[in-house]
Amino acid sequence: MTDPTQITRILFQDFDPKAIYLFYAFGYLAIAIFIHGCYVQVRKYRRGKPDESWNQIFKRFWDMVKTMASHRTLVRRDKKAGRAHGLIFFGFVLLFIGTATITLEYDILEPLFGVRFWYGNFYLLFSLVLDVAGFGVIAGLLYMMYRRKWMNLPKLDYKRVDRQVGDPDYDRSQYRREDWAFLWSFILIGITGFILEATRLVWLSETPSVWDHRFWSPVGALLAHMMEALGMTAEIAGAFRPYLWWFHGLLSLTFIACIPYTKIKHIFTAAASLMFKSPLVGRRLPIIPVEQANAGYKTITDLTWKNLLHLDACTKCGRCQEACPANAVGAPLSPRDVILSLREFANKTLNAKELPAEAELDIHGKSPGQVMQETLWSCRTCLACVEICPVAVEHVPIIVQMRRNLVEAGEMEPILEKTLQTIHKTGNSFGESKRKRAAWAKGLPFEIKDARTEPVDILWFVGDYASFDPRNQKVTRSFAKLLNKAGVNFGLLFEAEMNAGNDIRRVGEEGLYEHLATSNIGTLQSCDFKSIVTTDPHSFNTIRNEYPDFGGAFEINHYTTLVKQLIESGQIKLKKKLDYRVTFHDPCHLGRYNKGYDAPRDVIKLLGCELVEMGRNRDNSFCCGAGGGRIWIPDPVGIEKPSANRMREAGQIEGLDVFIVSCPKDLTMFEDALKTSGFEGQFVVRELIELIDECIEYDVVDITNEAEVITTSD
Amino acid sequence: MKILVAVKQTAALEEDFEIRDDGLDVDEDFMMYDLNEWDDFSLEEAMKIKESSDTDVEVVVVSVGPDRVDESLRKCLAKGADRAIRVWDDAAEGSDAIVIGRILTEVIKKEAPDMVFAGVQSSDQAYASTGISVASYLNWPHAAVVADLQYKPGDNKAVIRRELEGGMLQEVEINCPAVLTIQLGINKPRYASLRGIKQAATKPIEEVSLAEIGLSANDVGVGKSMSRVRRMYIPEKGRATMIEGTISEQAAKIIQIINEFKGA
Repeated sequence: MTDPTQITRILFQDFDPKAIYLFYAFGYLAIAIFIHGCYVQVRKYRRGKPDESWNQIFKRFWDMVKTMASHRTLVRRDKKAGRAHGLIFFGFVLLFIGTATITLEYDILEPLFGVRFWYGNFYLLFSLVLDVAGFGVIAGLLYMMYRRKWMNLPKLDYKRVDRQVGDPDYDRSQYRREDWAFLWSFILIGITGFILEATRLVWLSETPSVWDHRFWSPVGALLAHMMEALGMTAEIAGAFRPYLWWFHGLLSLTFIACIPYTKIKHIFTAAASLMFKSPLVGRRLPIIPVEQANAGYKTITDLTWKNLLHLDACTKCGRCQEACPANAVGAPLSPRDVILSLREFANKTLNAKELPAEAELDIHGKSPGQVMQETLWSCRTCLACVEICPVAVEHVPIIVQMRRNLVEAGEMEPILEKTLQTIHKTGNSFGESKRKRAAWAKGLPFEIKDARTEPVDILWFVGDYASFDPRNQKVTRSFAKLLNKAGVNFGLLFEAEMNAGNDIRRVGEEGLYEHLATSNIGTLQSCDFKSIVTTDPHSFNTIRNEYPDFGGAFEINHYTTLVKQLIESGQIKLKKKLDYRVTFHDPCHLGRYNKGYDAPRDVIKLLGCELVEMGRNRDNSFCCGAGGGRIWIPDPVGIEKPSANRMREAGQIEGLDVFIVSCPKDLTMFEDALKTSGFEGQFVVRELIELIDECIEYDVVDITNEAEVITTSD
Repeated sequence: MKILVAVKQTAALEEDFEIRDDGLDVDEDFMMYDLNEWDDFSLEEAMKIKESSDTDVEVVVVSVGPDRVDESLRKCLAKGADRAIRVWDDAAEGSDAIVIGRILTEVIKKEAPDMVFAGVQSSDQAYASTGISVASYLNWPHAAVVADLQYKPGDNKAVIRRELEGGMLQEVEINCPAVLTIQLGINKPRYASLRGIKQAATKPIEEVSLAEIGLSANDVGVGKSMSRVRRMYIPEKGRATMIEGTISEQAAKIIQIINEFKGA
């Protein structure tokens, strides 16, 4: 039996010592280049503004490890690519650990302490694991090559929507070259590694301690047998080996040296990006520090280090672009291109030893690396991009920060400017008198309490659309009747209610937002109530997630949660079942923003409807196009509106009766879109409240809704 | 170099409103105040001159009105005006446009600006005479309804285009200093962000009493005005009615109305 210490791989076997020194010299050079690259990158991040994401560092680290280990974010909506990445990732991790293990013994433990462990059974298991790992890497890379070359995925063609052919930064072929250089160099390292392993086996086929255990490195053994069959002898192998060894070795060292300078850096930046992601990203936009004179981002150095890190984490996978409603309808916005443009800009300006002059740091415009106004204003802040990004890039906060700067400079659509002025003057986007805030309640057969003057259990924050839009007022009245019928002790703020500010904040008018938020918070704090309810997901989001930053911590529910409770507790009795075939549109601010996916679906099922999901549902719901203040800016003519795109999707559901929404803005957007969709008459758009209303029997026949009451009491 | 911009805070009416008990004006409860639309343009014109000039240009906004006017002045400061002056005395309540012009004139004499801009008219009272009365009191050249202005600080002449009826423009050369009343559309007024307005709160608004500009309560108010409001009222609705219904119903109704009119 062979001595177990003989079962190992002799490093640099038969090498001239000078060759070994030379290899170490190359190794140190590669490490030096790597470290310099890292230094330049870190210096770049440090040129950004501070950010407080260092808190809870261990929890963050652990979450990142879990995300990476599960590959959760990578398999979403692209299982095959995610799994292929998994093979590459885990293979690479194992190969790295393997190499580090050898270094630990050969360069540290053995020379210093004479300790050896890399032999015998451990060595054999090690060989097996690394062979499998290497095979996985190659398999994964092959799939990626196939995907890039033959699957013709639009998200991988880097075609720009925010530049014209001929613009200096229209051409993205450099990215394609980099992608392929990465794939080829990586796969060549793997392939030459296996051939080298096989060559060594053939070379040492007379050495039993090597040859007898060859099947512990199965891929290498298989190749070795093939080489022998093709006539390779031990001598030929021995002569061939040094060339191959140097090729493999230098390629690997070059790869390591290149990490901080190329897309390979995502190994580090993506991990760090995941670690520093904000739990409330987009849901709670950053406040403007008191000491900061100007609002938002004007120059690249206005970005925080965390923003700059996110820019570097992007691997150009294009999932954000695929999910983006603005991009889907041909608007000049690709969230990926915003990130890539800013990254190019940051690399151009912040990698230099000396920071360029202020004027050269402006990120607004049409020059290379700058972001156009039209691009920024195309965003509907629906968070679809942020939601799907596998590496936690936070696009929306950057876009809003850049808009803040545009707003301050008055660079916006005149109609939006007018709306903002109107909201400032009247407290609502309809320009109606404050006095008319609760005019919808006229004609109800009961009085609604004024929460400002008497205590209530539930304070109903109505919101602009539900208060002033005539179509939505019908829904608002139904909800009032429902609450009244259920015996809920509720009240309103009447003329003291102002626009909650969610969309104003997302437009980028931070000063107006602060004005509205603090005013509402003051009013709410002077009232006596247990919790807030609203039918408006936009108000829901900002009161829930953003008011706390301004001193207003309130418990708030979207109505779907409350209604579900009321039905389940029996406070609302459903007198009949609906046999509609329905689909449900998740409002961005209820679903993606606040994970309120289930309550509306539960209510729909309680009503007896048959729920058929659209392809894009829950976290992948497709924005109606009204978010981020876009409801106040008419969409350009000639291109499809996001809402029309959604109607086409719903229209594919056979026998659909009702397209259910649970957001006032959705009702407006989709009822409008239905008219021109070609599906009018086939299905209708309804607020969930209206369906619930159909199932409730009201004792009192009131005048305003007489017709409806008669039909429902049949 | 100094440009003085005379501004006014005007009232817009809510959809439903009530007339004050004395019948002279609308009840203040139903008014929403904001800077006069024309003044956005005249301030912008001053700001354009300021920003394109190599020499220092000071833009001073002046208004005659009570405390609430500060809000509008702050908006002007947010847009970049250097100083704001507000003149008030309760006795000035009810002053007509000419008296307001007189008050402004005294401020202008103290400030000694190189140019005076005002809006063509105010959106609530629409007398279109404040600016012109200032020119008259100062005995300065003036031009009304200015739709284009070519002027650089230090010039002793300005070339302006005045908007006339029928889409005509009249190009005029005017000696400076002058009083110009600025028409809508001469430029694109900038947006005053709320942060800007808040930050402008630190810029002082100079409150000036009548005495400081050499006037007294006897020089202003209803008593000194050459015109007085007798009553304000909503005229009775005319006979116009909207005809609704299907085309044939509408036609039938029209025939009926014609027949009634003919006395048939």
